Amino acid sequence: MQRRHRPTRRAVALGMAALAATRHASAAQPGTLRFGLTPVFLSSDLELLARLETYLGTATGYPVELVTRRTYQEITTLLVSGELDAAWICGYPYVAFRDRLSLVAVPVWRGRPLYQSYLIVASGRAARAIGDLEGEVHAFSDPDSNSGFLVTAAELAAMDERPETFFGRTLFTYSHRNVVRAVASGLAASGSVDGYVYEVLKEVSPDLVARTAIVRASGWNPFPPIACPLAYAASAKTDALRNALMRMPGNAEGTAVLDLLRLDGFALEQPGFFEPIRVAMESVRRLG
Amino acid sequence: MRRLGALPLAIRIPLLVAILMIAVGAVASERVLSRLQEVQERQLSDLTDAYLDGLASSLVDPVLREDPWEVFDILDRARGLYAAVRPLETIVLDDRGTVLAASDPRRFPIGSPAPSQPDDVAADAAHVDEEEARAYARRTLTVEGREVGSILVAIDAAPILEERRGVFYTLLASNAAVTLAAAALGSIAVRRMVRPIRMLGTHLTQALDGPVSPIPAAMIPAPGTEVGRLFRSYNALALAIGERDALLARAAEEERLASLGRLASGMAHEINNPLGGLFNALDTLRVHGDKAAIRKGSVDLLDRGLKGIRDVVRTTLATYRPDRELRPLRQADIDDLRILVRPEAGRKQLALDFSGRLDTDVPIDAFQLRQVLLNVLLNACRAAPEGGTVRMTVGAQGASFTASIEDDGPGLPEDAEQILKGGLKPTTDRSGLGLVITSRMVRDLGGSLAAGTSTLGGARITITIPMAAGDAAPEVLHVA
Repeated sequence: MQRRHRPTRRAVALGMAALAATRHASAAQPGTLRFGLTPVFLSSDLELLARLETYLGTATGYPVELVTRRTYQEITTLLVSGELDAAWICGYPYVAFRDRLSLVAVPVWRGRPLYQSYLIVASGRAARAIGDLEGEVHAFSDPDSNSGFLVTAAELAAMDERPETFFGRTLFTYSHRNVVRAVASGLAASGSVDGYVYEVLKEVSPDLVARTAIVRASGWNPFPPIACPLAYAASAKTDALRNALMRMPGNAEGTAVLDLLRLDGFALEQPGFFEPIRVAMESVRRLG
Repeated sequence: MRRLGALPLAIRIPLLVAILMIAVGAVASERVLSRLQEVQERQLSDLTDAYLDGLASSLVDPVLREDPWEVFDILDRARGLYAAVRPLETIVLDDRGTVLAASDPRRFPIGSPAPSQPDDVAADAAHVDEEEARAYARRTLTVEGREVGSILVAIDAAPILEERRGVFYTLLASNAAVTLAAAALGSIAVRRMVRPIRMLGTHLTQALDGPVSPIPAAMIPAPGTEVGRLFRSYNALALAIGERDALLARAAEEERLASLGRLASGMAHEINNPLGGLFNALDTLRVHGDKAAIRKGSVDLLDRGLKGIRDVVRTTLATYRPDRELRPLRQADIDDLRILVRPEAGRKQLALDFSGRLDTDVPIDAFQLRQVLLNVLLNACRAAPEGGTVRMTVGAQGASFTASIEDDGPGLPEDAEQILKGGLKPTTDRSGLGLVITSRMVRDLGGSLAAGTSTLGGARITITIPMAAGDAAPEVLHVA
C-alpha cells in the first residue's frame, strides 16, 4: 500500500511545498539563521545540536534556530519554500531541486567530500551481492535519500529491475540508524544505508552494528551538502554561514562539533560535483 | 476400619484431629489459592489492558498506513516502557490477518500468517497458560467501526505462577506445622484424659488374675468429676467382690465341714459294722485259741476287719488332711471315692455303678479333683430316691480327663445351669451353694462343668479337666 501511494503522496507534498513557497517566501525571521537538519544520522543527539547551535551562533553572529523533521521531504520542502535559510540535506533532493537551490558547502569525511552507500544484511548470512537479496524484505532509509534509496534503485535499474518488484517487500525507516536496527532485529532481511552513518555507528553503537554485515559498498558518491534556497545564495546570512562552516576546523568549539560528527571540515564544490547522483536519478526515472 | 478401632485413644484422637486439620487446611488453601489466582489474573489482565491500550493508540496510524517499520519501532520502544508488563512477544496483524510487524521479526516475519493463539483468548481478558507460563491476550484495532488490524501479545506469566507456587508451599508448610502441633497437643490432652481410664483398666486386668484391689484413695480425684465417680464406683465394686470372695471361701469351708459331718456318721457305721464281728472273733480266739484251724480263721477275720477300718480311716484322712500335698490322680483315688460315699449310699440303699478305669496317673491335682468328684457324687446320692442308682463314669481321653456322674433323681433345679456358668444367685439352698463352690473349683483347675439329663432319668453332670492345664500339673508329675 505504501509503495503504491508513495509517488502520489510525494507529488502532493511537492505541490504543497510550491504553495508554501509563494505564501511564506519571507517567513524566516530576518534576524535569525534558521538551519535545517535532516535525520542524516544522529538526529536525537542533543549534545551535538546544542554545540552546533552555539558554534553557529557565535561564528555567524546571528541567533541560530535548528530545525529538525522526521523525513528528508519535510526539510527539503521547508528549504525549497524558503522557510529555512539553509539546511543539511541529501545529495538526491539537492539534485532534484538543483534549479531552486544553491550549494553552501560540502562536508569532508576522511579527507574527501565523498561517501558510500552500503547494502547490509544480518551478520552471518552468506549474501555476496544484491542479486542474493531478491524477494526479501528490504529496508530503505528514506525515499529521498541518495545512499539510503537512490544508489540501490540505480543499481537495480542497471539490471532492469525496480525495488518494488525486485524485493519481496520494501519499507522506509526514515533514518539510517533505523535501517541498521531493522536489519539487526530481523524485521528486514537487508537494507540500504549511508556508509558514513554506518561507520560512525560502528563507534557509537558497536553492539548494534555487530549484528549486521556489509554485502557490498557502492562507489564513492558526493557527500550530502549544505544548501540554501537559490534566492538566498548571495545573502549575508549565507555568506556568514559558509564562512562559519569553512572556519570550523580552526576553532575549538568548531572542532568539537566536527569531532562529534566525525568530519574533517567543509569544502566548496561546484554543482557539477553532484553529476553522479543526477545520472543515477535519470537511470531510475527512465524505468518509470 | 477394625484395625483403626484397635488403636488406642491416645493415637486415634490425634489422628482424627490431624485428618480434620488437613481437611480444613485443604479447603482453606484451595479458597486462598483460587482467590489469589483470580486477583493475579485480574492484575495481569489490567496490566495487559494498559499495555494494549497504550500500544493501540499509537499503532492505529502506522497500521492504517501499513508501515511495518513504525509498528516495529513502537513495539521495540514499548518493550522498555512496559517492562513491568513483561511482554514476551507482541505481534501486530493487518486487516487480512497477516503479520505487519512483531517484536521478534525473525520468529514472525512481515507478511507471515498470524500465529495460532489459544482458542479461548477473548478480546478483553488475558488467558494464562500455566504449562507455558505465558498469558495471551489480543486487541482489535478499529477506526470508525472498521477493523484495521489487531495486536496479539504473549506475556511472561512466570512471576505470577512463581508467586502462586510460593503461596502454595507456604500454605502447605504452615498447614503441616499447625496440623502437627494440633495433633501433638491432642495427643498430650488425650493422654492426660485417658490416664485414669488406663489406671482403671490396669486394675481390672489385674483383677482377672488375682484379688480385686481398690484404687488408692490418694489417686482418686474429687467426687464431682466423672473420673472421681468412676473410681469410687470401681472401689465399691472391688469391695463387694472382695466380700463375696471371702463369703464364698467361708461357705466352702462350711460346706466341707458339713460334708465331713455327714461322712463322719457314715464312717462311724463303717467302723462299727465290722467291730461286732471282730469282737466275736476275739471271743472265738479266747475260747478256741488252741485250735489251729479256728485260730487261723479268727485271725484272718480280725485282719480283714481291721484292714477295712484302716482303709476307711486312711481315705478320710486323705480327703480332709489340712496339709494337702500335690500329686496326680490315680485309680486309687476313684476307689477311695467309692469308700467315701458308700455310707451315704448304704443309708439309702443306692446302687453305686462305677465304670471306667484310670490305667495311668492323670496329671491333675488329686486333692482338688477328689473334692469336686466327691461333692458331685454326694449331691447325686442326695438327689437319688431310696433304692435308686448313682453312676459314675471316668476316663482319660486324649489330653483331658472326664467324669460323668448321673442319678435317677428329679433332675437339677432350674437355676442350676446358671450357677454352673458362674452366675451367682443368692440362695439358701445348700445344694445350690455346693454347686457354686464346685463349679469354681472346676474353673480353678481350668476345666468345665456341664449339666444335662441322664438316661437314668435324673441329672447328669459332666466334668472335663484338661491335663496339661493348671499350674499344678507339672509339679504333680514331679512329686509323683
